Amino acid sequence: MRSLRAVLFRKMVNAIITIFIVLALNFVLFHVMPGNPIRMMIPQKPNIDPGYIDMMIEKFGLDQPWYIQFFVYLKNVFTLEFGDSFRTKTPVIDLVLDDLTWTLILVGTSTFFMITIGMTLGILAAWKRGSWFDTGSLAFSLFFYAMPTFWFSLILILVFALELRWFPPSGELPIGMTLTPFNLDTLAALLDHLFLPAVSLTVGSIAAFSVVMRSSLVDIMTEDYVTTARAKGMSEYRMLKEHAIPNAMLPMVTLIALDLAFIVGGAFQTEYVFDYEGIGYATIIATEQDDYPYLQAAFLIIAVVVVFANLIADLTLAYLDPRVKIE
Amino acid sequence: MSGIAGRLLKLLPLTEPAREKLRLGAKRITATSKHFRKSPTGMAGLGILVFFVILALFAGQVMVLLSWVSDATGHPWDTAYGPFEITGDGVMRPPSPAHWLGTDDNERDILSRVIYGSRVSLEIGLVAAAASMGLGTLVGLLAGFWGGWKDEVLMRITDVFLVLPWLALMIVLATVLPGGQSVSKVIFVISITGWSYTARIVRAQVLSLKERGFVERARAIGSSDMHIVRRHIFPNVFPLVFANAIITVALSILSESTLSYIALGPPPTEVVTWGNILYGASQRNAMGNELYWWIIIPGLCIVFVVLSFTFIGYALDEIFNPKLRKR
Repeated sequence: MRSLRAVLFRKMVNAIITIFIVLALNFVLFHVMPGNPIRMMIPQKPNIDPGYIDMMIEKFGLDQPWYIQFFVYLKNVFTLEFGDSFRTKTPVIDLVLDDLTWTLILVGTSTFFMITIGMTLGILAAWKRGSWFDTGSLAFSLFFYAMPTFWFSLILILVFALELRWFPPSGELPIGMTLTPFNLDTLAALLDHLFLPAVSLTVGSIAAFSVVMRSSLVDIMTEDYVTTARAKGMSEYRMLKEHAIPNAMLPMVTLIALDLAFIVGGAFQTEYVFDYEGIGYATIIATEQDDYPYLQAAFLIIAVVVVFANLIADLTLAYLDPRVKIE
Repeated sequence: MSGIAGRLLKLLPLTEPAREKLRLGAKRITATSKHFRKSPTGMAGLGILVFFVILALFAGQVMVLLSWVSDATGHPWDTAYGPFEITGDGVMRPPSPAHWLGTDDNERDILSRVIYGSRVSLEIGLVAAAASMGLGTLVGLLAGFWGGWKDEVLMRITDVFLVLPWLALMIVLATVLPGGQSVSKVIFVISITGWSYTARIVRAQVLSLKERGFVERARAIGSSDMHIVRRHIFPNVFPLVFANAIITVALSILSESTLSYIALGPPPTEVVTWGNILYGASQRNAMGNELYWWIIIPGLCIVFVVLSFTFIGYALDEIFNPKLRKR
């Protein structure tokens, strides 16, 4: 049996290794693979100031061999220096961090709802195992799971924005409004714009949570301590609440971490269809306009955020579940 | 095994051990299919899949058949339209007896495009899933069997691909990799992003098999590593991989449609897929022009194909995975 501290230490080391591999992968993709890294950092347009080109080559070591470039690249990453966007000509990192806020708002809201709704469905399905509700909720969640998120978003716009006109079809705030905290008008406008994208992102991922919650709970309901509780005459409700559900939640923590990769993928599609200017929307626009500096920085930042989210989930699990230490 | 099949086997010019192996294999398949037929979801999935496979294999014949139906109802078509055929019946027309789903921005028949679209969508899904399964199984087998630092290295790489948001990685790969757009590039991009989960489950399975008696016995009588992996470990891992592969096909089809929708799929001028039909629809603002069927039908095709693979995968998982057997 290892100590909790050793487990935590190992998880952190793994996260750092993962981030380092991501850094290397990013470097290979954007600096080694294209043959000509200059194409990836400086817009290929005839009217570019030669002084700017020289400055960029100097700053990113673009005329150096790749192994020297790699160290220059590492240094630049740690000082958050990713060059200028081809599209807006401003530092990429400012754009990425700004877009990230919007993505976190969308992903955060949706994740909260997919966990609560998914878990509730899973608990009810496990409780009423074999009933029409069980089958129905599985069919329902798998049906939406099978839907491409971008297509579901299109259908939502079609029905609720264009036909019924209940919600705006696109954007994250009305034109001219900026995000200010503690302002009721802004908040109302934000919720109005956030509703459909959040529904689109939430509904597709409910299945992952409800299915796992159900099977985890069904698993636990065969355990001896549940039988004991029942034999003692404990009510089904109390047994679920005090014994089964808290234990069935543990796999959910792992699942949230694993699913994040999919949720972010869904967010990309939702943002794109709703013109919601988060990091996913901007990334897809960047591919259309060959804005490589943005693409590179966005990919790296997303990867780092997701790795950290995973680490937090791992640590939470290690804290909650004494068995992790034995593993 | 009974009657005809048994007698047929005897007729084949095989050595006795080979015949015995075939007999055992056939017995296993019969047993599995007996279980499978009892699963309503599995059979529903199979039914839907058979429908789409027939559509894909006989796309041309299906169009001829539909043109006869239209003839019989008094609205003869000019021909059984091909997916790239310019019909000369006007741009972006709503559904009519001549074009059941209307025409697109190039005067092409949308119904025909949807039917032919099943071909590449299924092809990419199947090939990409097979490739990522192959890669995942290989990595999982090696990591589990080798153990030690080699296992550690392989698993850290697997972790990276597991946590990275799949769509972000696919977008970056599709944009940065050289060679323009092609079906094979899309297959490569999908399989490179999709192998990690398989590697994980294969490795876990191998680790538990390694400790089992029959592997130790094989080692004791001096079997080579290669022999042990091929004859003892792989056959036991295979069913799990197979169930997983079916679900991976679903994910690959979703990936293809998403890539095509954001213009990173196979070239729309040469290849028709459901994803790029939807891309065309959104480029031409089908929604604003009230051409709803242009969006709804290709999307539903994706949903049902993905659903069919998910259903089959779940049913198989229930058969092969001892943890999920009915309690």
